[in-house]
Amino acid sequence: MHPYRYHRPGSLAEAEEVLAGDGDPRPLAGGMSLIPVMKHRLAAPSDLVDLAAIGGLTGITVEPATLGIRAMTRHAAVAASPSVRERIPALAALAGGIGDPLVRNRGTIGGSLANNDPAACYPSAVLALDAEIVTAGRRIPADNFFLGLFETALEPGELIVEVRFPVPAAASYRKFPNPASRFSVVGVFVARLADGAVRVAVTGAGPCVFRVKAFERALAASFAPGALADLSVAADGLTSDIHGSAAYRAHLIGVLAEDAVADCA
Amino acid sequence: MYFGQRLTRREDDKFLKGRGRFVDDIEPAGTAHIAFVRSPHAHARIRGIDAAPARALPGVLRVLTAADWQAAGLGALTCVHPMPFSDGRPMNEELRPALASGKVHHVGDVVAAVVAEDRYAALDGADAVAVDYEALPAVTDIARSLDEDAPVLHQRFGSNLVFEIERGDRAATAAVFDAAHHVVALTLDTHRVAGCPLEPRAYLSRFDEATEDITLWATSQTPHYLRRWLAKYALGVPEHKLRVISPDVGGGFGLKTHFAVEVSTVVWASILLGRPVKWTSTRAEALMSDAQARDHHTRARMAFDRDGRILALEVDTIAALGAYLSNFAPSIPGNSYPQTVTGLYTTPNLHLRVRGAYTNTVPIDAYRGSGRPEATFVNERLLENGARELGIDVAEIRRRNLIPAEAFPYTTPVGRAYDCGDPPALFDKLLEIAGYEGLRAEQRRLGDRGVRMGIGIACFLDKSGTGSSRNLASRGGLHGGYESAIVRIHSDGRATVFVGSHSHGQGHDTTFCQIAADRLGLPIEDIALVEGDTGSIPFGNGTWGSRSLSVGGVAIMQAADRVIDKARRLAAHMLECAEEDLLYENAVFSVRGTDRLLGFADVADAAYHGAVLPADGSMEPGLEETVFYEPPDTNDPQAMHLAVVLVEPRSGKVTVRDYFTADDCGNIVNPLIVEGQVVGGLAQGLGQALMERVVYDGGAAGQLFSGTLMDYALPRASDMPGVRMTFQETPAPSNPLGVKGGSETGTIGAPAAIGNAVVDALWDLGVRHVRQPFTPDAVWHSLEDAAG
Amino acid sequence: MMRVTLDINGREHAAEVDPRMLLVEFVRRCAGLTGTHVGCDTSQCGACTVHLDGIAVKSCTVFAAQAEGHAVTTIEGVSPDDGLSPLQAAFKEHHALQCGFCTPGMIMSALDMIRRGAATDEQAVRAGLEGNLCRCTGYQNIVAAILAGAAAMAEG
Repeated sequence: MHPYRYHRPGSLAEAEEVLAGDGDPRPLAGGMSLIPVMKHRLAAPSDLVDLAAIGGLTGITVEPATLGIRAMTRHAAVAASPSVRERIPALAALAGGIGDPLVRNRGTIGGSLANNDPAACYPSAVLALDAEIVTAGRRIPADNFFLGLFETALEPGELIVEVRFPVPAAASYRKFPNPASRFSVVGVFVARLADGAVRVAVTGAGPCVFRVKAFERALAASFAPGALADLSVAADGLTSDIHGSAAYRAHLIGVLAEDAVADCA
Repeated sequence: MYFGQRLTRREDDKFLKGRGRFVDDIEPAGTAHIAFVRSPHAHARIRGIDAAPARALPGVLRVLTAADWQAAGLGALTCVHPMPFSDGRPMNEELRPALASGKVHHVGDVVAAVVAEDRYAALDGADAVAVDYEALPAVTDIARSLDEDAPVLHQRFGSNLVFEIERGDRAATAAVFDAAHHVVALTLDTHRVAGCPLEPRAYLSRFDEATEDITLWATSQTPHYLRRWLAKYALGVPEHKLRVISPDVGGGFGLKTHFAVEVSTVVWASILLGRPVKWTSTRAEALMSDAQARDHHTRARMAFDRDGRILALEVDTIAALGAYLSNFAPSIPGNSYPQTVTGLYTTPNLHLRVRGAYTNTVPIDAYRGSGRPEATFVNERLLENGARELGIDVAEIRRRNLIPAEAFPYTTPVGRAYDCGDPPALFDKLLEIAGYEGLRAEQRRLGDRGVRMGIGIACFLDKSGTGSSRNLASRGGLHGGYESAIVRIHSDGRATVFVGSHSHGQGHDTTFCQIAADRLGLPIEDIALVEGDTGSIPFGNGTWGSRSLSVGGVAIMQAADRVIDKARRLAAHMLECAEEDLLYENAVFSVRGTDRLLGFADVADAAYHGAVLPADGSMEPGLEETVFYEPPDTNDPQAMHLAVVLVEPRSGKVTVRDYFTADDCGNIVNPLIVEGQVVGGLAQGLGQALMERVVYDGGAAGQLFSGTLMDYALPRASDMPGVRMTFQETPAPSNPLGVKGGSETGTIGAPAAIGNAVVDALWDLGVRHVRQPFTPDAVWHSLEDAAG
Repeated sequence: MMRVTLDINGREHAAEVDPRMLLVEFVRRCAGLTGTHVGCDTSQCGACTVHLDGIAVKSCTVFAAQAEGHAVTTIEGVSPDDGLSPLQAAFKEHHALQCGFCTPGMIMSALDMIRRGAATDEQAVRAGLEGNLCRCTGYQNIVAAILAGAAAMAEG
């Protein structure tokens, strides 16, 4: 691990001030991804801005058609939240399947989204549910948020404060976990939104979470597993690694999407 | 009698309360820390090393490279079990350097060491050492290691071949294949795995400048050998000035036996600096430096008659040995593999060719099972495919081929004898606890509902105990097969047992004291066990090869018996009776037919007081005996596994639903501990079968892909099925306790049993083999291939 | 360097540390509590499990500075001076440990699981142990011990 300076501001403004400073300052949320990466000297921030002491960044708010999850809310809290379990059970299940119980006790939704690991679970929910990422200054629609490998629409120093999920008509997340890391080899989030639109988001399979428009069109016409029978995802551009070839991942997207649709029935 | 009792373990309390004492828990004041600079290349020439930027950093005390090592006139790590070619030529031996010189040969090869005031400074220093590499093409795939155009690691040998041996009769075997009713041929690779004990290796060396004594705390299964190797081969320090302490050690599974690459440098640095120096491996370092295991490319055939009887086995294997030869590496494919490859089946004809080869990978060495898992996978996969192709039930074909009880001692076609056993009876026990017929019926029922269940079996044996020093030497070994023990009775009649074995999870403090208590007639609470300190224990061979109980346990038994013999002589003298008239029970000597008694503690008291000993000087004071026990032979634990798997063809996912084991590991001292060893070994075997895999890119770069536990998958609780066990106790004839090794069968049988089960589940879809490990990706690709 | 003061097992420990110091390093080196172990560097193994305000976390993936102001509990903090706690006794009874290296983390994780009411049956316990690796036991006896320990704690 490279040397760095530790900061623990008490307010967002204070945090943003340090993050606007020289060097390569980075926010520290749950630390579940950042700290291991720093240990392997693959990240060398000059400063870490611990967000834990900033008030108002945790909790879940319920509105008629929306669930708001504050950025520093731990995965375990999302998984256990009666509001989430009742209104978007697929999201609670997703949170309850991230990493392991100890990781879920530390990891946060904001940290996960800002990091945008290609195999993280949350980005698929955000994208499929057409959620909004709320920062101090703006609201970013999911479709504009995930830009590429570990890349998001966040400006340097811009902090996520909340994620707002529209409550869908039905949704399910199916994940094939990496046997070692428990990230997803492939994860597929299928959502039928309140307005009837269907969105299918895939994580783990490529450099960044993505939607499968062909699946969405077919499911919009007929929301049943059989609707996907003749469709497949091309392996080109998908990830090949020691846990699965691109061809296997492409195949798995279809399998998991069918299962997720079946769950929604 | 304590023998045979399910005693809970005496050592547990300290671990449960966080009071274990592992090497990294120890840190004397003033300890400096080492960080190693490791090669990021699989194969490269070192054009230069610039240590100046590191030396300039605050806290950095010293940077050491191969040039320093050579200038100091230090030696090399050693290979203690060479393997000559079949024609007698010596093997092509390249030893693992403490610090790479000229070239690096695998990712993780050590290039320099930085000693600093603390760990952060050491790591910063290691980062600052600038190494100028010229990358060379690498070969990491064992199947390609001996190709004409493969990059050669060590040019002086002209190729990557380390040794080549043939066993059995090539011509006779070929003739049997030509005439056989049926032949099965498969490519049966066993992939490379990492042992991964949960405690990473650690070394702390303290040099006392006043006395020039060195104390080394090491995560070692073999503290005396570590001391001998450091003294004799690497550093040339006087053996009597070096004390090695191996305290609590968090698992070993073989790989803490080996002469690790980092330890010499830690000791050397502590001498150079005159202060304690410590290194604790990170997991990432462990995955690029701890010796790894398996990695065979194998083509094999089995010939059958029309009734499914095995006529012959033919095996051609290339065994990876890594970039350099680690301690025992050549003997794993050279000895362990051939002597168990025909397993528990009568196999009249065998031809076996084994070639050991260098690749640009971490050195291979012994890991739980060591040669037997690779061998068993070959034998068992061929047999089950043969059964299916001949239309014979896989249980029935085993009944026709298992070695019958009356054939023991049974001599294999490679000339090794198996001592004792009753495989058909053990097989019946396995099928009984598994409910084999019921499982087949369930398989048919589930099949009708579209659920793919598979049943796989493996029958096999271990070779345990290593045998005598002569036996080992006859196979090339430069190390002993004996074990040492002292039984010391204190003047209050309590005892301390010192033994040269080392427990790092096996429960010696309980098992060994059960034996000692029985032989001494003392309550177990009155006995303490000391292991892992060369300062107090006679030279011991340590714990590896499932030898601790059958060799170390017998050494303890013999020393205890000698103590009682002397106590009996002294008691007879004190009670003024003949020795034959004495009874000894529950720590009391009594004279037969009288009410005269003498407590063992009183005898001990007299032995140490000395004054009441026979006046003629025929007896020395004290009550303590030392034994160096040389075992006459190895022993042959046998086991059989039955795995029930569910395979989802859509995703390729394999779930091991049930697992049944039947073990014959001789007499059992403590069933609780033996059962724990069986399940624990099985978890590692299941890991190998389903998920664990060291992966290199396979191309010219030779990069390591499984560099952390984010990619190297260890089995978790949810991956394990419930395991049901049964045992058969056929006493080993070669030791007076009748015990055998009992901890390695899990790793040996699981890949074969699970592999057979997976193929069973998918046979009707045309799948004849799935490459290991049976990951969802591998299973799915097998199905795709079968579908054409 | 920075000054960090932590409440560990109800006692205050202060030290001048590098910001890079992880909670597990502080616990082991500054507080001298070596029952908490390090088995990996990517937060897979769980040998470093401690409680932070009563919740199980991996102390190798928390900076010491982050723990300031929170109550840290280690294996030493849940061990009675004499004898064993009911959960520890269950581990011994069921031979749920071999080398003992993962054991403190297992105990800390299991305690959290039991307190959350999540140790309901074999399957739940296996799932609850996702974050803790054991290389020796094959887990069978650990699972049995946690179920037995949970029952004993419910009675006690």
